[in-house]
Amino acid sequence: MAELDRREFLKLVGTSAGAAAAVGCSDLPEKLIPYVVQPEEITPGLPVIYASTCQECSAGCGVHVRTREGRPIKLEGNPEHPINRGKLCARGQAGLGRTYHPDRYQSALERDASGALAPVAWDQAIARLGAAVSAAGRRTAVLTSPLGPTLSGLLDSWLAATGGGMRVEYEPFAPEALRHAAEVVFGVASVPVFDLSDTDFVIDFGSDCLSTGLSPVEHARQLSAARDAAKESARAARLVYVGPRLDETASQSDEWLAPKPGTEGILALAIARAAVDAATGPDGEIGVAASAIARQLSGFGADAVAARTEVPAETIRRIGASLARARRPVALPPGVALSSSRATSTAAAVLFLNAAIGAVGHTVQVPPAPSRAPSFRDTTRLIEAMKAGDVDVLIVHGANPVHTLPSASGFAAALGKVKLVVSIASMPDETSALAHLVLPDHTTAESWGDAAPRPGVRSIVQPTLRPLYDTRAFGDTLLDTARAIGAAAAANLPAGSFRSAVEAAWKDTNWRAALQRGGVFDGGAWSSPGIAEGVARLQFKEPEIAGDGDFVLLAVPSPMLGDGRGANLGLLQETPDPITKIAWQSWAEISTKSADSLGVRPGDVLAVETASGKLEVPVWPRGGLRNDVVAIAFGQGHTVGSFAAATPDEYSTGLRAGERPAPGPARGVNVNAILPAQSDESGGRAFLVAKAKVGKTGRFQRLPYTQGTDNKRGRLLGESISLAALAAGGPSPWAPNETPGHVPGALAAVPAAAEHGETGERRAAAGHGGEHEILRAYDPVNDSVAEDPYRWGMTIDVDKCTGCSACIVACAVENNIPTVGESLILRNRTMQWIRIERWIGEGEPVLEPARPDVESREQLGNVDVRNAPMLCQHCGAAPCEPVCPVFATYHSPSGLNGMTYNRCIGTRYCSNNCPYKVRRFNWFDYQIERWPDPMGLGLNPDVTVRAQGVMEKCTFCVQRIQAARLTAKGEKRAVAAGEVQTACQQTCPTGAIVFDNLKLADNKAGAAANANAGRTYHALHPVNTRPAITYLAKVAREEGHEA
Amino acid sequence: MTPPPAESVAAMIRPAPVRVDSKVNRDLLRVMEGASVGYWVLLHLAVAFMLAAGGWWIYQVYRGLGIVGYRHPVFWGAYIVTFVFWVGIAHAGTLISAILYLFRAKWRNAINRSAEAMTVFAVLTAAQFLGIHVGRIWKSYFILPYPNQRALWVNFKSPLLWDTFAITTYATTSILFLYIGLVPDLAIARDRSTGWRRVLYAVLSLGWQGTSKQWKAQNRAVLHLSGLATPLVLSVHSVVSWDFAMSIVPTWHATIFAPYFVAGAIFSGFAMVLTMMIPVRRIFGLEEYITDYHFENMSRFLLLTSLIVGYAYLSEYFIAWYGHVEPESTEFWMRAFGPYWMSSWTMIICNAFVPQIFWFKWARTHVPTVFIVSVLVNIGMWFERYVIIVGGLSREYDPAAWGVYTPSWGELLIVAGSFGFFAQFFLIFLKLFPVVAIAEVKEIEIHSKAHGEVGH
Repeated sequence: MAELDRREFLKLVGTSAGAAAAVGCSDLPEKLIPYVVQPEEITPGLPVIYASTCQECSAGCGVHVRTREGRPIKLEGNPEHPINRGKLCARGQAGLGRTYHPDRYQSALERDASGALAPVAWDQAIARLGAAVSAAGRRTAVLTSPLGPTLSGLLDSWLAATGGGMRVEYEPFAPEALRHAAEVVFGVASVPVFDLSDTDFVIDFGSDCLSTGLSPVEHARQLSAARDAAKESARAARLVYVGPRLDETASQSDEWLAPKPGTEGILALAIARAAVDAATGPDGEIGVAASAIARQLSGFGADAVAARTEVPAETIRRIGASLARARRPVALPPGVALSSSRATSTAAAVLFLNAAIGAVGHTVQVPPAPSRAPSFRDTTRLIEAMKAGDVDVLIVHGANPVHTLPSASGFAAALGKVKLVVSIASMPDETSALAHLVLPDHTTAESWGDAAPRPGVRSIVQPTLRPLYDTRAFGDTLLDTARAIGAAAAANLPAGSFRSAVEAAWKDTNWRAALQRGGVFDGGAWSSPGIAEGVARLQFKEPEIAGDGDFVLLAVPSPMLGDGRGANLGLLQETPDPITKIAWQSWAEISTKSADSLGVRPGDVLAVETASGKLEVPVWPRGGLRNDVVAIAFGQGHTVGSFAAATPDEYSTGLRAGERPAPGPARGVNVNAILPAQSDESGGRAFLVAKAKVGKTGRFQRLPYTQGTDNKRGRLLGESISLAALAAGGPSPWAPNETPGHVPGALAAVPAAAEHGETGERRAAAGHGGEHEILRAYDPVNDSVAEDPYRWGMTIDVDKCTGCSACIVACAVENNIPTVGESLILRNRTMQWIRIERWIGEGEPVLEPARPDVESREQLGNVDVRNAPMLCQHCGAAPCEPVCPVFATYHSPSGLNGMTYNRCIGTRYCSNNCPYKVRRFNWFDYQIERWPDPMGLGLNPDVTVRAQGVMEKCTFCVQRIQAARLTAKGEKRAVAAGEVQTACQQTCPTGAIVFDNLKLADNKAGAAANANAGRTYHALHPVNTRPAITYLAKVAREEGHEA
Repeated sequence: MTPPPAESVAAMIRPAPVRVDSKVNRDLLRVMEGASVGYWVLLHLAVAFMLAAGGWWIYQVYRGLGIVGYRHPVFWGAYIVTFVFWVGIAHAGTLISAILYLFRAKWRNAINRSAEAMTVFAVLTAAQFLGIHVGRIWKSYFILPYPNQRALWVNFKSPLLWDTFAITTYATTSILFLYIGLVPDLAIARDRSTGWRRVLYAVLSLGWQGTSKQWKAQNRAVLHLSGLATPLVLSVHSVVSWDFAMSIVPTWHATIFAPYFVAGAIFSGFAMVLTMMIPVRRIFGLEEYITDYHFENMSRFLLLTSLIVGYAYLSEYFIAWYGHVEPESTEFWMRAFGPYWMSSWTMIICNAFVPQIFWFKWARTHVPTVFIVSVLVNIGMWFERYVIIVGGLSREYDPAAWGVYTPSWGELLIVAGSFGFFAQFFLIFLKLFPVVAIAEVKEIEIHSKAHGEVGH
């Protein structure tokens, strides 16, 4: 043994004492367990990205699943995918929440003697299903959401092999009327594809195309590019909206007409006629369909229709003339909310209009008819069969008919007559709560599959993590059941697993390349059909809206929850409605005038009664609604689910994975409860069918809203500029002396800017600067250390922001932002780092009395709605920085307003001093309370989960900046322009958010500001915080500036 | 040389006659003796409130500040309001001891001890709120500039840091001031007590013998401390006011804040001295020492500071109107007629209008009136801080982020507990230490006697 001298001894003692102290001081050590066999493709700390397909709605957007160490943590749009081109909506962004949902079924379940669902072995469950199916034979029924081609084909063969049961494809909001209209008008039973790219005139007949329409992400992207205010040729492209309610699309429109609900089709015909009338000379395009169209249009003169629709005749003529003049116009048919009992003829009328203005074949494409489409008529037939006792086994997959079908259809009762109800749901819903057997499916992130949203687009769904629980893909369940029934049944089905079936289905492609790209995207075959003969049979007249009552019940799809399938995702519940800014609740919208005559104020509970039932729901009066309409959104009213149903205050305390709360009181109301089960001419479900009586109940329920006023009081927050002023050129009226683009070249014009190091900046920021510093043009580039190669900044285009809130959800997923629940939203405790402020016009500094009601400044026909995303402005002279006593918030050399969570002691002074109010405080230990197992698995490992008592706010996704800097450093280069994308920017469907390093000559944010120099402003500029975010004012496209 | 008369010899060898000051000693030390049932009830009540508040506070630390009524964007609420309130209360003591000492205002002698004690206890109470209010009490030592290996330093630009220094400095100075003044009295108490009290006073009186050298040293110490403390009276609340004035919150960001807050602090401090001393005088029969003359003088002070505070209110509104800055004028309008109108008018009526009654001599000399006014001023001053802090934060620049805060029951419990905390100290102080400065009262008596003799 070596001699231990004094020095050695001291060293040893010192080291071991230090080590002991270090261990003793910290929390319990946690072990990072390395891979035993390191997977080749995984480098710990670096993300691996897989291409897949979003399954949240039927639009079929492509996604990139970002995984870290084998766990998907974030979804981003697949830039190669033709539908969404790298963008995702709020619902898509939240989709991963299904995989890490605390409610998930963890094994097969069977209803035991006591009536509760108890775990059962898969073999046993499959055997039971097999026995039941083979006994039932034709008396088997399968109700599914629209399936991918492979699964759909498998299900067809399975049904054939197991006795020929009934198959129903059910989608609550399927565009059935449009498909049937296409069949009547064009002779092809398929949903036309509307292409808004490069359009110069869009008229939307109430589909809310930017939010809940046919393909919101795609349409939002195309439309914003088509009317980019930076392009002189495009900036005057017009959007006209037709509908009774100021929704997201109406808010973006340049003209909003609110005809009598149900008369949209008649209006479309009148506009078509006006367009035909206006088109002088032998205009070829109109001539094509002239004979058929002219016959149909004869009775729809502008004056006659004006009386029926309550839209002035001049307006009809003017719009018709504009459409006739337009280079590439398109008309969009009504969506769910306006599907009346005459939805098919209404949709046909709009297709007519498209034909009349020559859009068909250009902006309107008619794909070949699909083999299978969702059908409400089939669903109704199934219910009748169930009621008659003709269904012994019902398998429900991907749908929640108990919630989404009208209560009047009697589905829940009919379910009671089915001997064996099998649910394939991966987490509980109202339907699976009534099932006898639950055979949980994998979630999308764990599944193989494919999708074919439209001809020419074949998209792959591939798993990105091993199934968390003992679940089984629906395809495998089908295969296993067939095998359990017997060799004869299995013989006609593919051998092996569902995965191999998918692979086999893609045999004709380069499988690996398809996996890499996310699918196969080619042009697709499009027919350009003429007007079919059947048109002559169409009758156009007002639909009947039955019932007594002064209000038309308008049931609108929820932008966040859709038909209700998003309701059990806390993130979507937490994200406020883009229009009313209400989260976690249902509300009924009536006009402010109706509210005044009823004597109700926001939050007073109304009784809304139709012939089918009665709902009690708090009221939210709005100016942007017809007086004869009461609007209630779909989506809420669930009784099952931790987030979907009403849950105790601290919903997650003690809630652990697999512990499912029993069905309890509903959260909000389900408007299906008062909608009659009615269909339109072609059998699709009709929603605009009932009149409602609206009365007071005398009760009050405070609504959890996140913005209490839409009056910006003339403050510099969400600005608007007229097209005329913009076209006149000249500097921005809000920032005439400022460098719009903050590109280095512009600095030359600024004296003394070059020697502005940190000291100069600090002096200027502190207000002690010399005169030249105060008066010089403000340029955020100066607000970082001169030698630092970075100054991160952003440009946000208010003109492009539709308020869709995808950025909010993307930010929450990327930055591990907790959902706080209704009770805390009621106390303004939302944690979201970005909010979208919605302002109506310029506002005025009115002074309200003691406790003002939430006031709506909306007006019918007024479209001056400004959606201004508000997030940390990363000010050059940040008011939050000097007031922090411990330097927890500080200015980084790259100009970021940093936040050191570990240093924060929670004085909250920074938030008090922030004029933008974008700082959030961790009131509770959300890191424990708000991520019940297994939600924690989905956290982004690059971002600290904040502890109780610390402040947090937008970091400009500093983890992404850091990753890009490290990559660049490794490659011995600088971070290139556009290399870093913040989460909000990445997902923004309209590209309203641009982020970049302002010190680069070719930086994208600066370029966006430079290109729009006439409309730049800095939020609350008079406070002189020198923000790093430059806003671009909304453009008011007034009449007379049409292309 | 004739021998002195026998009688006078006898007189010479007789024990010394009872000293003239013995009645003063007896009267003033009697306060410390025994304790009535009422005293115990009060003390228990105070301790109970303190413990209840402490229990709630422990729960708050465990659970998080979320259980408190904070509502975005109002991130400072009743805790900071009460903090400022107690710092304000703490002002009377130093003002009376230091400034009035320097101005040789003799009438202060009867009340300065209680005022100084109040100062110390009020500062201690206020300091609690810095800890109660922060999100992570367990990391709050970060605010101290202690050397550490990570080279982390504090932000000397932050008014909150100035606050920390101001409060600790003020606490140190006021404790010293109180103690130096106490030493001669402790010696008197030591000489007249037995048992553990004797030991306590013996230790605390630092061997005071009343020699002229000691008196000289003590007087010099008081004088120097007065000199040191005088700027503190102005600085501490100025610094506290800068917590607000240095921010950019409309209605906070005003140059008037320092004098406005100092005047308010003195105003509330004097009111609190009156609120405390009027019952004490009554209960312990100290009418001879704390006379109506004292109360009248203090009422005059209240009147003066009320005028300053009222002027500040007016000037705030005038500037808001004259400055024509929309967010600021809106906030001031909201202050008067918005969600906090009740608090605002409570503040204006209690602070600016009610003390005007002291223009009349009958009001200044009618003790119940003085008491009621002092209580109203205390209430008004709490609401002043509430209106400024909460009202200021609730409607700032971005109307999308407006919110109305109301304190939760837990916060009010802690506010009540702070009164318990304060009262507990004061009650214990009453029984342990002379509540009226014996030596200084005697000094005045001797002076007046001397002057009386000269007058003969």
